[in-house]
Amino acid sequence: MSEEPVDVLIIGAGAAGAAMAWSLAETRMKIVCLEQGDWMDPDDYPTTRAGWEMERFGRFGFSPNGRGRETDYPINDSSSPIQISNFNGVGGSTILYAAHFPRFRPGDFKIRTLDDVADDWPIDYDTLAPYYDQNAIMMGVAGLAGDPAYPDKDVPLPPVPLGKLGETIGRGFNQLGWHWWPSDSAIATREYQGRAACINLGPCIMGCAQGAKASTDVTYWPVAVRAGVELRTRSRVREITLGEDGLANGVVYYDADGLEHRQEAAIVILACNGIGTPRLLLNSANKDFPDGLANRSGLVGKNLMFHPYGMVTGVFDERLEGYKGPTGCCIMSQEFYETDPARDFVRGYSFEILRGMGPVSTALWGMSTGHLPWGVDHHAAYDEIWDKTAGMVVICEDLPEERNCVSLDPDLVDSDGIPAPKVDYRLSDNSLAMLEHGVARGREGLVASGSIFTTAEAPLPPAGWHLMGTTRMGRDPKASVVNEWGRCHDVKNLFIIDGSIFVTAAAVNPTNTIQALTLYIADQIKKNLTNLFE
Amino acid sequence: MSLGPEEQRTLASVLDTILPPSKQGQRAGAGGLGLVNHIQEVLAESPIMQPIIASGLAAAQAAARRRGAGDFETLPQDARQRILEEISAEQPDLLPSLTFHGYVGYYQHPDVIQTLGLEPRPPHPKGYEIEESDLSLLDPVRARPKLYRE
Ligand SMILES: Cc1cc2nc3c(=O)[nH]c(=O)nc-3n(C[C@H](O)[C@H](O)[C@H](O)COP(=O)(O)OP(=O)(O)OC[C@H]3O[C@@H](n4cnc5c(N)ncnc54)[C@H](O)[C@@H]3O)c2cc1C
Repeated sequence: MSEEPVDVLIIGAGAAGAAMAWSLAETRMKIVCLEQGDWMDPDDYPTTRAGWEMERFGRFGFSPNGRGRETDYPINDSSSPIQISNFNGVGGSTILYAAHFPRFRPGDFKIRTLDDVADDWPIDYDTLAPYYDQNAIMMGVAGLAGDPAYPDKDVPLPPVPLGKLGETIGRGFNQLGWHWWPSDSAIATREYQGRAACINLGPCIMGCAQGAKASTDVTYWPVAVRAGVELRTRSRVREITLGEDGLANGVVYYDADGLEHRQEAAIVILACNGIGTPRLLLNSANKDFPDGLANRSGLVGKNLMFHPYGMVTGVFDERLEGYKGPTGCCIMSQEFYETDPARDFVRGYSFEILRGMGPVSTALWGMSTGHLPWGVDHHAAYDEIWDKTAGMVVICEDLPEERNCVSLDPDLVDSDGIPAPKVDYRLSDNSLAMLEHGVARGREGLVASGSIFTTAEAPLPPAGWHLMGTTRMGRDPKASVVNEWGRCHDVKNLFIIDGSIFVTAAAVNPTNTIQALTLYIADQIKKNLTNLFE
Repeated sequence: MSLGPEEQRTLASVLDTILPPSKQGQRAGAGGLGLVNHIQEVLAESPIMQPIIASGLAAAQAAARRRGAGDFETLPQDARQRILEEISAEQPDLLPSLTFHGYVGYYQHPDVIQTLGLEPRPPHPKGYEIEESDLSLLDPVRARPKLYRE
């Protein structure tokens, strides 16, 4: 079945695809976005039901391999100590994300110059700053001005409440003289642009029933759709096709019934994330590109970066009311962010303080860490941990390495028979040393805050949620897949806008930067429309 | 699979052994709270657990009878606890599965949730109040020079 040709075809309706659709809508071009998943129903999110805590093991789990949704595709991540976490639907992984929303710092864009490692980006912080501002308004970012870890920046909403837990840790960090600050959070702390204010439900990572968390199905998409963009759900793209002129001319995709469709387009924009995008390019190999579309550099799928995570949990002797408030948005610290020659690793990490746990999660955490016996001593032990835990993740900067990669699995396919991605990833010695340092400092920070004992896990297995580097950006076509504004060197009407194009990973969550970069690329497309393919 | 009346009685007693009533009496034991039904629901959804529970309950009962007790459930808590520990060598999956699912059912139970100082309700739509933050705690951080490199 062939659909009417369009001007712009966006593949993927997550963080990046949504921002691109919104930005291009003003051009009045005919824009279609194909998304394999569905629109979400906020009434279906777990926090609306008793038993909500266990749904993280089911339909709202992080891993597409265990969620049992037909809108997912499988990912072979058995050759990686870190497993892939994502979501497929309108809003993409922002449906489950924690909405911790920092910017990269200026130095993050030039670590070759500053620290003689990896590569500099072909663009800099100042170029992206206006787009971070624009994204803050569209997503509704909450935060507090005056953080010495950043250049001045504006956010439209007041910060998330620290809560007793945040204040407790803040006091501890003050004792150690460490930096900390209320997290920039993509959460409406007040009513904002038609979205209800956050009511501190807790587990943002199961979807926000209140609509206060900025998943793109409640931010960019409604505006883009009103402006005329067509968002076609349950449309899974199998491959991007190439015309005689060497330009992409459209895609082949499947609908919910498995029927094959053809969609032609003048411009194709890929926004399937750091795993889905290289998968699609590799699945689009043809006679001109036998190793995958736009892959003359051989770098499609290479240089996969996560942020290796360490998790440190402290148990306190008083209640912290940690079950209240956005779980991943409280305070953060960038005390150990930059390279210190006295350490045995380059670059650094940040801390994101997590709030506490619900009753069931507390019991299961106690069980898995050996702090909660069954039998006569159970209740006394439970009372020692219930509402007395505070978590803290160490978010390490990963450095790009070609051996860490996404390829096509020779056997595994999705429900439409499309080859699935395979991830091969190993932690570098630099990351291992950084994790060790971060966990030790994390324990120190929690003890200074009053924690009576701590537990730690590093690397954190499900933390493959920041997916970067697999179609890197650069000026040299031999050493990168896209140019400094996201256009593939090898196919001049094919753009990539998700975390795949990151040159380096920084030590903070990526989504704000993915979207700022997307808005920047959208502006470059708009400015260059008349000579776009030259 | 549905458990027979005798198996249900043994299961309730095993659950009460894993999660007994609390000493001050504010929390009931898991068996007394009726978590047998919760475990039966789990069994209906995970057939793989059925033989684990069935043979575990039979082993507990047999061990109790070897000790001269009429039934497992007539023994005091410490004796029941010892039996569960003893049979776990031959029934290695019994305790992990019953502890996991027992905790899940127990800490979702409205009566237990109330003893934790919470209202027995899902977070949405009422949510939770958090007090105003004390942002003066940030004064020492504000006073620091810039921390980033250009
Ligand atoms: C549990 C969790 C917590 C997180 N917490 C944070 C956080 O606190 N802060 C932060 O910055 N980031 C966080 N992230 C990461 C964040 O969600 C991602 O960085 C962001 O969503 C990436 O945006 P994207 O547009 O590149 O990809 P996604 O948002 O993943 O969207 C990609 C979309 O493409 C679609 N797609 C893929 N392939 C195809 C195809 N072949 N055909 C059609 N459609 C396709 C998918 O269905 C999906 O909807 C978290 C992620 C998870 C899973």
